[in-house]
Amino acid sequence: MKLVAVTACPTGIAHTYMAAAQLEKTAKKLGHTIKVETQGAMGIENELSQADVDAADAVILATDIAIEQEERFSRARKIQVPVQAALKDPEAIFAKLK
Amino acid sequence: MALEQEFICPLPAGIHARPASALEEVVRRYTSEVTLLNRRTQRSANGKSILAMVGTDVRLGDACVFTVSGPDEREALAELSAFLRDKFPHCDAPLAPAKSAAAAPLSPCLREAGATIYRGQPVVPGIGLGCVVQFGKFSVSPALPRNGVADTAREWQQLEAALGKLDATCERRLATAKGIEAALVTVHRSIARDVDFRGSLRAAVTERQRTAAGAIEETEAQFSGMLAASGNPMLRERALDIQDICLQLLREIYGDAARAADVKLTADAVVVAESLTPGQFLALDRNFLKGLVLASAGGTSHTVILARSFNIPTLAGVPDLPGIQCAGQEVVVDAEAGALVTNLTAAARRYYVLEERRVLGRRARLKVVSARDAVTKDGQRMEIAANISTAGEAAGAFESGAEGIGLFRTEMLFLDRPAPPDEHEQFESYRTVLAAANGRPVVIRTLDVGGDKPLAYLDLPAEENPFLGRRAVRIYPEFEALFRTQIRALVRASASGKLRVMIPMIATVDEARWVRKIIGEEQQKCAAEHIAFDPAMPVGAMIEVPAAALAVEALSRELDFFSVGSNDLLQYFMAADRMNAQLAVLSNPLQPAFLRLLKWIADAARAQQKEISLCGEMGGQVRFLPLLAGMGLNKISAAAPAVAGLKAELSRLNQAACQELLKAALKCATADEVAALLEQFSAQTSMPLLETDLVIVECDAPTKEEAIKQGVDRLFVLGRTDDSLAVEDAVWRREATYSTGFGHGFAIPHCQTDAVRFNSLVLLKLKSPVAWNSLDGQPVRVVILLAIRAAQSAGTTHMQVLAKLARKIMDDDFRAELERENEPARLGAIFQKIF
Repeated sequence: MKLVAVTACPTGIAHTYMAAAQLEKTAKKLGHTIKVETQGAMGIENELSQADVDAADAVILATDIAIEQEERFSRARKIQVPVQAALKDPEAIFAKLK
Repeated sequence: MALEQEFICPLPAGIHARPASALEEVVRRYTSEVTLLNRRTQRSANGKSILAMVGTDVRLGDACVFTVSGPDEREALAELSAFLRDKFPHCDAPLAPAKSAAAAPLSPCLREAGATIYRGQPVVPGIGLGCVVQFGKFSVSPALPRNGVADTAREWQQLEAALGKLDATCERRLATAKGIEAALVTVHRSIARDVDFRGSLRAAVTERQRTAAGAIEETEAQFSGMLAASGNPMLRERALDIQDICLQLLREIYGDAARAADVKLTADAVVVAESLTPGQFLALDRNFLKGLVLASAGGTSHTVILARSFNIPTLAGVPDLPGIQCAGQEVVVDAEAGALVTNLTAAARRYYVLEERRVLGRRARLKVVSARDAVTKDGQRMEIAANISTAGEAAGAFESGAEGIGLFRTEMLFLDRPAPPDEHEQFESYRTVLAAANGRPVVIRTLDVGGDKPLAYLDLPAEENPFLGRRAVRIYPEFEALFRTQIRALVRASASGKLRVMIPMIATVDEARWVRKIIGEEQQKCAAEHIAFDPAMPVGAMIEVPAAALAVEALSRELDFFSVGSNDLLQYFMAADRMNAQLAVLSNPLQPAFLRLLKWIADAARAQQKEISLCGEMGGQVRFLPLLAGMGLNKISAAAPAVAGLKAELSRLNQAACQELLKAALKCATADEVAALLEQFSAQTSMPLLETDLVIVECDAPTKEEAIKQGVDRLFVLGRTDDSLAVEDAVWRREATYSTGFGHGFAIPHCQTDAVRFNSLVLLKLKSPVAWNSLDGQPVRVVILLAIRAAQSAGTTHMQVLAKLARKIMDDDFRAELERENEPARLGAIFQKIF
């Protein structure tokens, strides 16, 4: 599958990036491609364009706070999970997308 | 026929001891009877008794009437009326604003320790451990008879003699007492002389056949009750003075028989008292006194001021103190967090062991710096000196690393007493400081009083605007004798050390010349009397009036050095009262125009080869230091506790970089721009994110709470935060959203707060795993604590590093490497690789 994701946690110092790493690692292991945007203390990094979103089979929003530019995902097939879920059991998130 | 004068009390604090004694001074010269009636309380009082007037509980806005009747009633009323109209409204300094009552957050490490915690207001900081010694209320030993005196005349004689003796003792002590002690004795003397107080004692004996003990008991109850009943905390504190006098009378008359109520400390003790008189405090053996807990006592109470001068950790305002069952128990007075901790558990004791380690750790680290000369990284010398208000503080200031006394305010010697200190008393005080200085420079500022700090014996008329009125050097010509006495004491003291005299509020060259002339004359007199002195004693000026700032060149021909009084200079320059919180934006030393003024002063002084220093509050804050260093000041003088931190900060600064920073700051248009510039500078010159001292291996922490505390404490020890409780609180607030234990035995607690000075990473490898409520339910062995400065979080390189670290931490190999390694430096190196 071709996936995109956004991670964002309350302080934006640690979990945003930990979750991003975890999603990338798991996608690779399961044979998917993924582009993960982080919205943390550094602002938006690895930003997803509308084209990125439109080309994706699904969107994973691993977020605990309201994110910026959410309208990009209004038409996409998406799954919303807490940041912790991406850390604890990322494979379960991918399983739900099948 | 009696005459009357109505008035409405204009004093915010009501008629307490100070205004009452001012009224008493007016009326006592007349033989007429004077009565004060407070219409609200319907209490009336003899106008010649300070205590009785205080007891009428006159508060702001109360309608009152003075009745005068007697042979000189007309004259008495005329003077009283004029006094009430002209001077009375200004005879009392306004009350200091009450400290915020909001209690600081407690460390969860203490909160969860299972001990009993009572919150209170820390009034003297510190932490003390000892067994509780409870002080009861004032009481007369039950063994003493109260009633049935046969020879009432003899009994009264005995009591009167005791009063006389007390009065004489007060007189004697006033001859040598200084500052706070002198103020206290003055109050005691006025009570011993008070007509109503004496009248009450006398009536009890002669009219009701009470013994002296009975009369004292009755009178104490009457007056203390009267003062305590008033809603005014200042008056309630005066009740302690009444009790003190009554105790002294009992001892005088009954000797040892009255001592039943005395308490003797024989081991480390925490004294718990609903109230404690200054006399009782002074009688305690301070070798054993580790802490003080008072039910009530404002910051102005004499007992608290004494406790502060002896550094006894003190907590006040603990509610329901008598209900707390802790007699004989070992307890902790925590005047850092504001808590009395009883029923100490092993965990609570551990917490205080850690607290001690934290405070001593910081001190030990600063000791290294404080013993060294203050110098920038690139070798620029800048003296860091201390400000003091009493001679007794000098020794402690030098212990904290001060390289001199940059400002000895002599006002304390003169305030709150009926007459100014004589030459000898002043001389002794100045010499005490010079002796403590042991050859290091001491700057003594001559008396800085005026309308805002009234002295009874100067009798200065109240002014519309005292800060712009007659104060400091402006009143010296009028009180020339007083000024000459101080100068003579200073000239004499100059023989015993490196003394410099500093004149406050200089605005013109004429003032400087006049002062120089007086000093010269006093020096000549001393020479004629063969009294030793230093003929080269430097004389300088406070630069606090903007006019003086622009007259440095001309003043340099009269004077030897300058010191910027930044508080007053700022408020005069910005035309903004610094006590007015609504003008805080203007009272900001980062206002670019103010920085330009400071730079102007520094440059002008340097051009004349005169020493230039700064001794206001601005100098005590490390965040301003780069700007001040950039100006090339020769010296900064700050409160003693700030000295070591300033020296440490200076040693991290580069003078050249500070000059560049200042140049940029002077070009800024607003204070916010300067603040942003400072923040940027601080980020550039910040300590590294991680240093070896931030790696703690074999960390002995049995709980998550303690692990976090130990991590945060390390930040405090290393000077990365000055408020560990605030940082701990920020970490725990983050922890409350969800646990930071992300599994695999790792946790990454973190926070964003400006309570940390620099972004920091602490690595703790725990001796044994602790429960962390982790995602995988496993206990934690490795803790990575991140403390990020909120103002610096956006877009800095540190944040990029941390994002990288957060990603890396999900990597199994990286975690395995951290688990394997146990040597701090090598652990640090593992992190450096990813940075």
